[in-house]
Amino acid sequence: MVKTTTSIEEEIKAIFSDNTPWVTIVWDDPVNLMTYVTYVLMELFGYSREKAHELMMKVHTEGKAVVSTGSREEMEHDVARLHEYGLWATLQRGDQAL
Amino acid sequence: MGHASARRPSSMSAEKGFHRHGSNSYIAEFAESEREVLLNLIEQLIELLSERVDHGHEDPLAAMVGIASHDSPPEDEVLRRLLPNAYADEVDASEFRRYTESTLRGKKQAHAMSMRMYLKSADDGIVDLDHDNANAWLGALNDIRLALGVRINVQENTSEVLELLSPDDPLRGVYAVYTWLGWLQESLLSALMDE
Repeated sequence: MVKTTTSIEEEIKAIFSDNTPWVTIVWDDPVNLMTYVTYVLMELFGYSREKAHELMMKVHTEGKAVVSTGSREEMEHDVARLHEYGLWATLQRGDQAL
Repeated sequence: MGHASARRPSSMSAEKGFHRHGSNSYIAEFAESEREVLLNLIEQLIELLSERVDHGHEDPLAAMVGIASHDSPPEDEVLRRLLPNAYADEVDASEFRRYTESTLRGKKQAHAMSMRMYLKSADDGIVDLDHDNANAWLGALNDIRLALGVRINVQENTSEVLELLSPDDPLRGVYAVYTWLGWLQESLLSALMDE
Protein backbone atom coordinates (compact mmCIF):
# COMPACT_ATOMS: atom_id res chain seq x y z
CA MET A 1 0.00 0.00 0.00
CA VAL A 2 2.68 2.43 1.03
CA LYS A 3 4.60 1.79 -2.14
CA THR A 4 1.54 2.39 -4.30
CA THR A 5 0.76 5.66 -2.57
CA THR A 6 4.31 6.84 -3.05
CA SER A 7 4.34 6.02 -6.73
CA ILE A 8 1.04 7.83 -7.29
CA GLU A 9 2.36 10.87 -5.46
CA GLU A 10 5.45 10.82 -7.59
CA GLU A 11 3.41 10.58 -10.74
CA ILE A 12 1.27 13.52 -9.72
CA LYS A 13 4.40 15.48 -8.86
CA ALA A 14 5.85 14.63 -12.26
CA ILE A 15 2.70 15.85 -14.01
CA PHE A 16 2.81 19.20 -12.24
CA SER A 17 6.50 19.83 -12.48
CA ASP A 18 8.68 20.13 -15.55
CA ASN A 19 10.79 17.03 -15.30
CA THR A 20 12.97 17.64 -18.31
CA PRO A 21 16.50 16.90 -17.14
CA TRP A 22 19.16 19.58 -17.41
CA VAL A 23 22.76 18.98 -18.36
CA THR A 24 26.13 20.46 -17.41
CA ILE A 25 28.51 20.85 -20.32
CA VAL A 26 32.28 21.32 -20.11
CA TRP A 27 33.86 23.10 -23.08
CA ASP A 28 37.37 22.70 -24.39
CA ASP A 29 39.83 25.51 -23.80
CA PRO A 30 43.52 25.82 -24.62
CA VAL A 31 44.81 26.47 -21.08
CA ASN A 32 43.40 23.81 -18.76
CA LEU A 33 45.66 20.78 -18.60
CA MET A 34 44.23 17.39 -19.55
CA THR A 35 45.32 15.92 -16.21
CA TYR A 36 43.73 18.84 -14.39
CA VAL A 37 40.37 18.44 -16.11
CA THR A 38 40.42 14.71 -15.29
CA TYR A 39 41.33 15.41 -11.65
CA VAL A 40 38.61 18.07 -11.20
CA LEU A 41 35.95 15.72 -12.61
CA MET A 42 37.11 13.01 -10.18
CA GLU A 43 37.13 15.37 -7.20
CA LEU A 44 33.85 17.19 -7.83
CA PHE A 45 31.72 14.33 -9.08
CA GLY A 46 33.42 11.35 -7.49
CA TYR A 47 33.95 9.79 -10.92
CA SER A 48 36.44 6.98 -11.33
CA ARG A 49 39.68 7.88 -13.04
CA GLU A 50 38.54 5.93 -16.12
CA LYS A 51 35.24 7.76 -16.40
CA ALA A 52 36.79 11.16 -15.75
CA HIS A 53 39.50 10.46 -18.33
CA GLU A 54 36.92 9.39 -20.89
CA LEU A 55 34.90 12.60 -20.38
CA MET A 56 38.05 14.72 -20.55
CA MET A 57 39.01 13.05 -23.85
CA LYS A 58 35.55 13.77 -25.21
CA VAL A 59 35.93 17.45 -24.30
CA HIS A 60 39.40 17.47 -25.86
CA THR A 61 38.47 15.75 -29.14
CA GLU A 62 34.87 16.91 -29.64
CA GLY A 63 35.11 20.34 -28.04
CA LYS A 64 32.53 19.63 -25.34
CA ALA A 65 30.96 16.91 -23.22
CA VAL A 66 28.00 16.49 -20.90
CA VAL A 67 29.54 15.80 -17.51
CA SER A 68 26.42 15.63 -15.33
CA THR A 69 22.63 15.45 -15.61
CA GLY A 70 19.90 16.37 -13.14
CA SER A 71 17.54 19.13 -12.09
CA ARG A 72 18.23 22.72 -13.04
CA GLU A 73 19.20 23.54 -9.45
CA GLU A 74 21.63 20.63 -9.31
CA MET A 75 23.22 21.66 -12.59
CA GLU A 76 23.57 25.27 -11.41
CA HIS A 77 25.40 23.90 -8.39
CA ASP A 78 27.68 21.77 -10.61
CA VAL A 79 28.47 24.67 -12.94
CA ALA A 80 29.32 26.91 -9.99
CA ARG A 81 31.74 24.30 -8.64
CA LEU A 82 33.36 23.81 -12.05
CA HIS A 83 33.77 27.59 -12.39
CA GLU A 84 35.40 27.65 -8.97
CA TYR A 85 38.11 25.39 -10.40
CA GLY A 86 38.37 27.29 -13.67
CA LEU A 87 36.70 24.83 -16.02
CA TRP A 88 34.63 26.41 -18.74
CA ALA A 89 31.12 25.06 -18.04
CA THR A 90 27.53 25.93 -18.90
CA LEU A 91 24.14 24.36 -18.21
CA GLN A 92 21.10 23.95 -20.42
CA ARG A 93 17.95 21.90 -20.80
CA GLY A 94 18.75 18.35 -21.81
CA ASP A 95 16.38 18.51 -24.77
CA GLN A 96 18.21 21.44 -26.37
CA ALA A 97 20.78 20.81 -29.06
CA LEU A 98 24.29 20.81 -27.65
CA MET B 1 43.31 21.53 -23.93
CA GLY B 2 46.71 22.57 -22.69
CA HIS B 3 49.76 20.41 -22.28
CA ALA B 4 52.38 20.73 -19.59
CA SER B 5 55.98 20.56 -20.56
CA ALA B 6 57.31 17.10 -19.70
CA ARG B 7 60.60 18.44 -18.46
CA ARG B 8 61.27 21.36 -16.19
CA PRO B 9 61.66 24.57 -18.22
CA SER B 10 65.34 25.45 -18.11
CA SER B 11 64.75 29.17 -17.58
CA MET B 12 63.50 28.59 -14.04
CA SER B 13 65.58 26.98 -11.36
CA ALA B 14 62.81 24.86 -9.89
CA GLU B 15 63.55 21.91 -7.68
CA LYS B 16 61.54 18.80 -8.40
CA GLY B 17 58.04 20.21 -8.09
CA PHE B 18 55.56 18.58 -5.73
CA HIS B 19 55.81 15.06 -4.41
CA ARG B 20 53.79 13.03 -2.05
CA HIS B 21 54.87 12.16 1.47
CA GLY B 22 52.69 9.72 3.34
CA SER B 23 48.96 9.71 2.85
CA ASN B 24 48.11 13.41 3.09
CA SER B 25 51.17 15.52 2.52
CA TYR B 26 52.31 17.14 -0.73
CA ILE B 27 55.64 18.87 -0.51
CA ALA B 28 57.58 21.19 -2.77
CA GLU B 29 60.68 23.24 -2.23
CA PHE B 30 60.89 26.60 -3.95
CA ALA B 31 63.91 28.74 -4.63
CA GLU B 32 63.58 32.28 -3.26
CA SER B 33 63.16 33.69 -6.79
CA GLU B 34 60.33 31.23 -7.47
CA ARG B 35 58.60 32.08 -4.22
CA GLU B 36 58.78 35.75 -5.19
CA VAL B 37 57.35 35.10 -8.64
CA LEU B 38 54.47 33.06 -7.19
CA LEU B 39 53.72 35.64 -4.48
CA ASN B 40 53.75 38.44 -7.02
CA LEU B 41 51.33 36.56 -9.30
CA ILE B 42 49.03 35.58 -6.46
CA GLU B 43 48.86 39.19 -5.21
CA GLN B 44 47.85 40.27 -8.69
CA LEU B 45 45.20 37.58 -8.86
CA ILE B 46 43.75 38.61 -5.49
CA GLU B 47 43.69 42.22 -6.60
CA LEU B 48 42.06 41.36 -9.91
CA LEU B 49 39.35 39.30 -8.21
CA SER B 50 38.51 42.13 -5.82
CA GLU B 51 38.02 44.59 -8.67
CA ARG B 52 34.64 45.50 -10.02
CA VAL B 53 33.26 46.22 -6.62
CA ASP B 54 29.97 47.96 -7.16
CA HIS B 55 29.89 51.70 -6.88
CA GLY B 56 27.04 53.82 -5.67
CA HIS B 57 23.63 52.43 -5.14
CA GLU B 58 24.35 49.00 -3.78
CA ASP B 59 21.77 47.61 -1.41
CA PRO B 60 23.81 46.71 1.71
CA LEU B 61 21.49 43.85 2.63
CA ALA B 62 21.72 42.37 -0.85
CA ALA B 63 25.48 42.72 -0.72
CA MET B 64 25.57 40.95 2.62
CA VAL B 65 23.86 37.87 1.22
CA GLY B 66 25.98 37.95 -1.91
CA ILE B 67 23.56 39.49 -4.40
CA ALA B 68 25.29 41.95 -6.69
CA SER B 69 23.64 44.98 -8.16
CA HIS B 70 25.26 44.20 -11.50
CA ASP B 71 24.49 41.24 -13.71
CA SER B 72 26.52 41.84 -16.85
CA PRO B 73 29.68 39.89 -17.66
CA PRO B 74 32.96 41.65 -16.71
CA GLU B 75 34.39 43.94 -19.36
CA ASP B 76 37.93 42.78 -18.68
CA GLU B 77 38.76 39.76 -20.80
CA VAL B 78 40.63 37.99 -18.00
CA LEU B 79 37.83 38.44 -15.47
CA ARG B 80 35.37 37.24 -18.08
CA ARG B 81 37.32 33.99 -18.30
CA LEU B 82 37.62 33.65 -14.51
CA LEU B 83 33.95 34.47 -13.93
CA PRO B 84 32.28 33.08 -17.06
CA ASN B 85 28.62 32.96 -18.03
CA ALA B 86 26.80 29.85 -16.83
CA TYR B 87 24.18 29.98 -19.58
CA ALA B 88 24.38 30.63 -23.31
CA ASP B 89 21.14 32.58 -22.93
CA GLU B 90 21.97 36.12 -21.84
CA VAL B 91 18.92 36.65 -19.62
CA ASP B 92 19.53 33.39 -17.73
CA ALA B 93 23.26 34.16 -17.54
CA SER B 94 22.58 37.61 -16.02
CA GLU B 95 20.16 36.25 -13.47
CA PHE B 96 22.60 33.52 -12.42
CA ARG B 97 25.50 35.96 -12.24
CA ARG B 98 23.54 38.35 -10.06
CA TYR B 99 23.11 35.71 -7.39
CA THR B 100 26.37 33.79 -7.67
CA GLU B 101 29.21 35.94 -8.93
CA SER B 102 30.29 37.33 -5.57
CA THR B 103 30.31 33.81 -4.08
CA LEU B 104 32.46 32.54 -6.94
CA ARG B 105 34.80 35.49 -6.57
CA GLY B 106 35.06 34.79 -2.84
CA LYS B 107 35.89 31.11 -3.39
CA LYS B 108 38.60 31.96 -5.89
CA GLN B 109 40.00 34.55 -3.50
CA ALA B 110 40.01 31.96 -0.73
CA HIS B 111 42.09 29.61 -2.91
CA ALA B 112 44.49 32.41 -3.72
CA MET B 113 44.78 33.51 -0.09
CA SER B 114 45.53 29.96 1.03
CA MET B 115 48.34 29.84 -1.50
CA ARG B 116 49.64 33.24 -0.40
CA MET B 117 49.55 32.22 3.27
CA TYR B 118 51.65 29.10 2.58
CA LEU B 119 54.14 30.99 0.45
CA LYS B 120 54.53 33.83 2.95
CA SER B 121 55.28 31.48 5.80
CA ALA B 122 57.67 29.31 3.76
CA ASP B 123 60.88 31.08 4.77
CA ASP B 124 62.87 27.95 4.00
CA GLY B 125 61.05 27.62 0.66
CA ILE B 126 59.32 24.41 1.73
CA VAL B 127 55.58 24.14 1.25
CA ASP B 128 53.73 21.19 2.78
CA LEU B 129 50.07 20.90 1.75
CA ASP B 130 47.28 18.59 2.81
CA HIS B 131 44.70 17.40 0.28
CA ASP B 132 42.29 20.33 0.74
CA ASN B 133 45.02 22.94 0.50
CA ALA B 134 46.48 21.14 -2.50
CA ASN B 135 43.09 21.59 -4.18
CA ALA B 136 43.13 25.29 -3.28
CA TRP B 137 46.61 25.59 -4.82
CA LEU B 138 45.46 23.79 -7.96
CA GLY B 139 42.55 26.19 -8.31
CA ALA B 140 44.70 29.27 -7.72
CA LEU B 141 47.51 28.06 -10.01
CA ASN B 142 44.91 27.38 -12.65
CA ASP B 143 43.37 30.84 -12.28
CA ILE B 144 46.81 32.41 -12.72
CA ARG B 145 47.41 30.29 -15.82
CA LEU B 146 43.98 31.25 -17.20
CA ALA B 147 44.75 34.93 -16.59
CA LEU B 148 48.19 34.73 -18.23
CA GLY B 149 46.76 32.56 -21.01
CA VAL B 150 44.22 35.24 -21.92
CA ARG B 151 46.87 37.99 -21.77
CA ILE B 152 49.31 36.16 -24.05
CA ASN B 153 46.45 34.75 -26.13
CA VAL B 154 47.26 31.07 -25.68
CA GLN B 155 45.81 28.83 -28.39
CA GLU B 156 46.26 25.11 -29.01
CA ASN B 157 49.44 25.76 -31.06
CA THR B 158 50.79 28.65 -29.00
CA SER B 159 53.92 26.85 -27.84
CA GLU B 160 55.29 26.68 -31.38
CA VAL B 161 54.41 30.32 -32.08
CA LEU B 162 55.91 31.67 -28.86
CA GLU B 163 59.07 29.65 -29.10
CA LEU B 164 59.79 31.46 -32.36
CA LEU B 165 59.70 34.88 -30.67
CA SER B 166 62.92 36.86 -30.51
CA PRO B 167 64.88 36.43 -27.26
CA ASP B 168 64.17 40.00 -26.12
CA ASP B 169 60.41 39.89 -26.73
CA PRO B 170 58.74 40.50 -23.33
CA LEU B 171 56.07 37.90 -24.16
CA ARG B 172 58.79 35.27 -24.02
CA GLY B 173 59.27 35.89 -20.30
CA VAL B 174 55.55 35.69 -19.60
CA TYR B 175 55.37 32.51 -21.60
CA ALA B 176 58.27 31.01 -19.64
CA VAL B 177 56.40 31.70 -16.39
CA TYR B 178 53.19 30.31 -17.89
CA THR B 179 55.00 27.12 -18.92
CA TRP B 180 56.63 26.77 -15.52
CA LEU B 181 53.27 27.14 -13.75
CA GLY B 182 51.84 24.39 -15.97
CA TRP B 183 54.74 22.16 -15.08
CA LEU B 184 54.30 22.93 -11.35
CA GLN B 185 50.56 22.26 -11.54
CA GLU B 186 51.20 18.99 -13.35
CA SER B 187 53.67 17.90 -10.65
CA LEU B 188 51.05 18.55 -7.95
CA LEU B 189 48.47 16.61 -9.98
CA SER B 190 50.81 13.61 -10.33
CA ALA B 191 51.46 13.67 -6.59
CA LEU B 192 47.72 13.77 -5.87
CA MET B 193 46.81 11.08 -8.39
CA ASP B 194 49.67 8.78 -7.50
CA GLU B 195 47.98 5.91 -5.69
